[in-house]
Amino acid sequence: MQIERDRELLLGLAANDDKSLEAIYLENFPAIARMILQHNGSEDDARDVFQESMIVLYEKVQEGNFILSSRLKTFLYAVCRRIWLKKLQQSAFQGPIYEELEETAAAEEALEAQVEKDQQFALMEEALGKMGEPCKTILEDYYVHGSSMQEIAERFGYTNAENAKNQKYKCLMRLKKLFFAQYK
Amino acid sequence: MNDIHLIQEIERYLDGDMSVPEREAFDALRRNDPAIDRQVTEHRLLLQQMRANAARKDLLRRMDAIHTRAEVPVTAKPSAPVINIRSRRTWLNLAAAACIALVTSLATMAVMQKAVKNSSTAQYEDVRRVLNNMQRSQNALIRDIKSNNKAPLNPGTYGGTCFAISRNGYMVTNYHVIAGADSIYIQNNKGEAFKAVSIFEDVSSDLAVLRIADSTFRSAPLPYALKQQPIRPGEEVFSMGFPRDEIVYGKGYISAQTGFNGDTLAYQVSIPVNPGNSGAPLLDADGEVIGIITGKQSSSDGIAFAVKSGHLKRLLDELPKDKYAKRDLKQKSQLMGLNRVDQLKKLEDFVYMVKVYN
Repeated sequence: MQIERDRELLLGLAANDDKSLEAIYLENFPAIARMILQHNGSEDDARDVFQESMIVLYEKVQEGNFILSSRLKTFLYAVCRRIWLKKLQQSAFQGPIYEELEETAAAEEALEAQVEKDQQFALMEEALGKMGEPCKTILEDYYVHGSSMQEIAERFGYTNAENAKNQKYKCLMRLKKLFFAQYK
Repeated sequence: MNDIHLIQEIERYLDGDMSVPEREAFDALRRNDPAIDRQVTEHRLLLQQMRANAARKDLLRRMDAIHTRAEVPVTAKPSAPVINIRSRRTWLNLAAAACIALVTSLATMAVMQKAVKNSSTAQYEDVRRVLNNMQRSQNALIRDIKSNNKAPLNPGTYGGTCFAISRNGYMVTNYHVIAGADSIYIQNNKGEAFKAVSIFEDVSSDLAVLRIADSTFRSAPLPYALKQQPIRPGEEVFSMGFPRDEIVYGKGYISAQTGFNGDTLAYQVSIPVNPGNSGAPLLDADGEVIGIITGKQSSSDGIAFAVKSGHLKRLLDELPKDKYAKRDLKQKSQLMGLNRVDQLKKLEDFVYMVKVYN
């Protein structure tokens, strides 16, 4: 069954499997691109919208509570359509209304949750940007890429891992301050 | 260092690096100290968000790599671009047309508004009095003869009328009468002059509250009251003001519920007013103050405007309660039932001429 395959792809996506991502991307992008191009969009618009919908999907499956109730194609199509419609409305362009498409409630829900996530994403980006180097890289190396303190100390020229660790904590405290200053 | 130690502990706690007793101790600490509990939650949230950001950026990077291999549909292209270009051009034209229309209408609006403003300043005229030089020299001559006159030597640049709202020297007049004043003197019908200061000005309703500078000033009880209810057109009204150095009585009627250009704070009154009447009280037949005369329409005679007393009431409510005695204004007018001559006789002691020097 098609839906079985979709679910497997999603599992792969959640596990950061490049093959699954590629399969989902290449299979679904043309349909989305066609829709965007037919509705006054450019190729770049198509890429942006599609990638945005992929982020929605990715973050949903990462949370682990996403249950695919329709075909993956349908879900992505509905999400992209909503995103594109919103963009058209933002640019004060009264685009045609696509009546032929059925709404999926899942797409609607996912997008609502996404608004908050996007805000937090922007907040974190801003905080990281304000913090500057080398703090940003130290934190990312340690907490995201899982580098050891020893590696970080060598990379940034700290005399020993203990010094690097102290620096890392100081960076973390600054980031905390920057992020939560706006978070509330 | 203490903070760093705490973060270290939180990290160990969240990573599960703590031994069972350590963990239990930390759990207890969290329960007892909400600040630490919050630190833990924030720490977890921060790391989550940081990882989510990195994951999102990583995903975007991977997708961009895949994107180079993605096929862009060609099926839509043959027809779509044509429509695209055409519709885009149409939209561009429409946008241009809309812009022009917008600019035109805005410009027209601006021009019209300016014209309206100009015409309204032409039509509306403050009735404060510009005391001219000739009068001034005349007065100066008289003053030379009676050297013990209490009034200041200079008769003032502008004049208007004000009336008492308390026994201790609070007066109401128009803002435009005292606007830009260096010093203000008020003078009653007997020729006694007092220095006054402006203590409250409300430009929007064109009202100002003055206080006689002499804090020991006490007048007789006020005979009139402020009318709260709005008054209907047709009601007979009268006023006393100082269009010249003598108090002058005028009689008329309310002709409309709104003032100049539909101003709902004011009445239109048909009453003879002249420069100098600004700030004069407008009373109804029972002797209750229903408004303050502010101006007239210059294009036609007999049309004057008066700020409603209800608005004055609101203004007075904002004055400091300890200085301004609200109860000095009677609930019931004592002029009720008297004939007009007696009413005027009682009223004239509380209406003053305002002289403004600038």
